[in-house]
Formats: sequence, structure tokens, C-alpha cells
Amino acid sequence: MKTKIKELRARYDMTQEDLAKKVGVRRETILFLEKGKYNPSLRLAHQVANALKTTIDDLFIFDD
Amino acid sequence: MKTKNNKEGSDKIRLIAIIIVSLFVIVTGTLFSLKSFIGGNVAGGAGGIFIVVTILVFAISVFIRGNSDIKKGFPLQDERSKRVMEKATSRAFYISLYMLLAVGFLSEDLIKFRDVSQATSVTVGLMSILFAVCWVYYNRKGDLE
Repeated sequence: MKTKIKELRARYDMTQEDLAKKVGVRRETILFLEKGKYNPSLRLAHQVANALKTTIDDLFIFDD
Repeated sequence: MKTKNNKEGSDKIRLIAIIIVSLFVIVTGTLFSLKSFIGGNVAGGAGGIFIVVTILVFAISVFIRGNSDIKKGFPLQDERSKRVMEKATSRAFYISLYMLLAVGFLSEDLIKFRDVSQATSVTVGLMSILFAVCWVYYNRKGDLE
């Protein structure tokens, strides 16, 4: 799984800590999400997408 | 949904609970070690001290990290840390079953335990170390599938 979290974070000038606080998770969770090493729940994916003003489809790219 | 203040409050209570449980384990482990040393069982006493020191280091690091996270506005637990805990607990449990079998087998020939309480204490100590190792492994691994 690949994500555009880092790219969108940079666009909105947000640090990992800022995003983590906005979504209500620990910083490591954002770190692993960015690396594509953690599959989030649908709720968390929705919250991250909302925080970065995008959709889940745009944010997460799955290798088929 | 929980408000931020409610969540912060429950995180503080959880942190205090972790510290209280750790203190109980440390006090019990220290008493066990003292009893072993007084009874002339140096290996048992040393093992107890090792477990007490390990738990003490773990408790101090959890407290410092948890306290600073709460102050910065991060939750003590989120969905990933809960999954790490679940995964570490289940793996430690499976491995513990084999370990219990091994301790039972070895206690007949190779290891001479003083009594059942000593064998139980050693097993519980090994189980707690095993859980800590599993937790560190899954916390660093990232991919929890």
C-alpha cells in the first residue's frame, strides 16, 4: 500500500505531530501510515483523509 | 464520542493504574528475592532482582513517555497501539504454552526447582519477559497483518 499523506502534509505545511493531534492518534501511527506499513481502520482512514481535505481513494493507493 | 478532556482524564487514570500495578509487582518481586536470598537460594534471588529491575526500567520509561505524550496532547492509546497489544498478548500466550511444557519437562531432569511456588515464579517471570519482547517487536514492526 502507498499513501499520499507525506505529500499532502507538505502541501498544508503540517508536521506528523500536527496531523496526529488533529486525527487523535499517536505520532508513530502517522509514521507507519506514511510508510504504508500500517493498514488503518476505515474510521481512521476517513479521519486522515478529512484532515488532509481529500478522499480515502485519493489518499491510499493499493497495489493490486 | 469522548471529549478531549474526558479522554485526557481517562489516559491519566490508565497511566496511574499501570504505575500502581507495576509497583505491586516490584514490591512482590523484591520480597520474593529477599526470601530467596535469606533461604540461601542465590540463583532464585538474582532472578527475582533481574525481573524487578526489568519491570522498574519498563515502568519508568512508560511513565515518562506517557506523561509527556499526555502533556503534548497525544492519546496514551490509539487503534495501532491497541492492535500491537493484542498481537503481543496472543503471541506471548502461544509461546508461553510451549514454554510451560518445556519447564514441566526440564524440571523432571535438568532443572531442580525448590518447590512448586519457585517453578511458578520462574515461569511467570519468563512469561512477562516474553510479553515485553513480543510487544517491542510488534511495536517496531509496523506491519501488523
